[in-house]
Amino acid sequence: MSELFPRKQVMGFVFSLILTAVALLVYFLDMPFTTGMTVLLITAFIQAALQLVVFMHAGETGDRGSIYTNLYYAIFIALVTVFGTLLTMIWGYI
Amino acid sequence: MKIDNSLPLEYSTGQNQINILGFWIFIGAEIMLFGTLFAAYFTLVDRTGNGPTGADIFEIAPLLIETFVLLTSSFTIGLAIHAMRLGKQKAMMTFFGITLLLGLVFLSVEIFEFNHFYHVGAGLQTSAFTAILLTTLGTHGAHVTFGLFWGLSIVLQVRKRGLTPETANKSFIFSLYWHFLDVVWIFIFSFIYLKGLM
Repeated sequence: MSELFPRKQVMGFVFSLILTAVALLVYFLDMPFTTGMTVLLITAFIQAALQLVVFMHAGETGDRGSIYTNLYYAIFIALVTVFGTLLTMIWGYI
Repeated sequence: MKIDNSLPLEYSTGQNQINILGFWIFIGAEIMLFGTLFAAYFTLVDRTGNGPTGADIFEIAPLLIETFVLLTSSFTIGLAIHAMRLGKQKAMMTFFGITLLLGLVFLSVEIFEFNHFYHVGAGLQTSAFTAILLTTLGTHGAHVTFGLFWGLSIVLQVRKRGLTPETANKSFIFSLYWHFLDVVWIFIFSFIYLKGLM
């Protein structure tokens, strides 16, 4: 039975629960906005990375290089889109 | 067809490896899809007009259920793939079943939540904020709905044909999709709900 619950994945799950709990502190502790956003940014990106590496087996085979290149490219373009939009639509007018 | 037995079943043929790489490229496009939705959300979040703001309509209880259910389902689909690699088809089917069941719970709570939004006066046409909110949440929810049917058809196929390089490959690709939906939810949870409630 225990072979069905590999240590790595159980630890990954526990860790992601902890990260979720930490993110929830933002709601329950009444933090200032900047502190809260910093906490959220850190927990969200760690948790996303955790999913990709532990559960999605991103670095397991010979295609590892292509998979990570594609992934970094997608994340880069998405971040440029999000922050570029914020810059031109919101921050640029303040 | 050349089968390489040193690799897990889902990677065992050249076609399988290309399928998995191809799906990663699709996930890249999906990241971009949700990236544009988030960009639009952050732009429009304060354009509430006469409608409610996020803090007015978000509720913590359904959010907690959705988050923990989806997080757990991402864990169980990981266990399903692990069981598949051990060749334990029965355990794999059990974990797959639990995953789909949790997906169904998530979707039910989300539908309940949408109903709640509608009743407190946050429809698709209320304001720019509610429009982009429901579009972003709805796009994620539509992906989960699609995933439920996809996952169900894979369960049926594995039950009929057993674990072959093809069915193992399909199951693995489904697990990638499901984990990806969980990643998207983490960002929705953090930057739509918690940011709105803060």
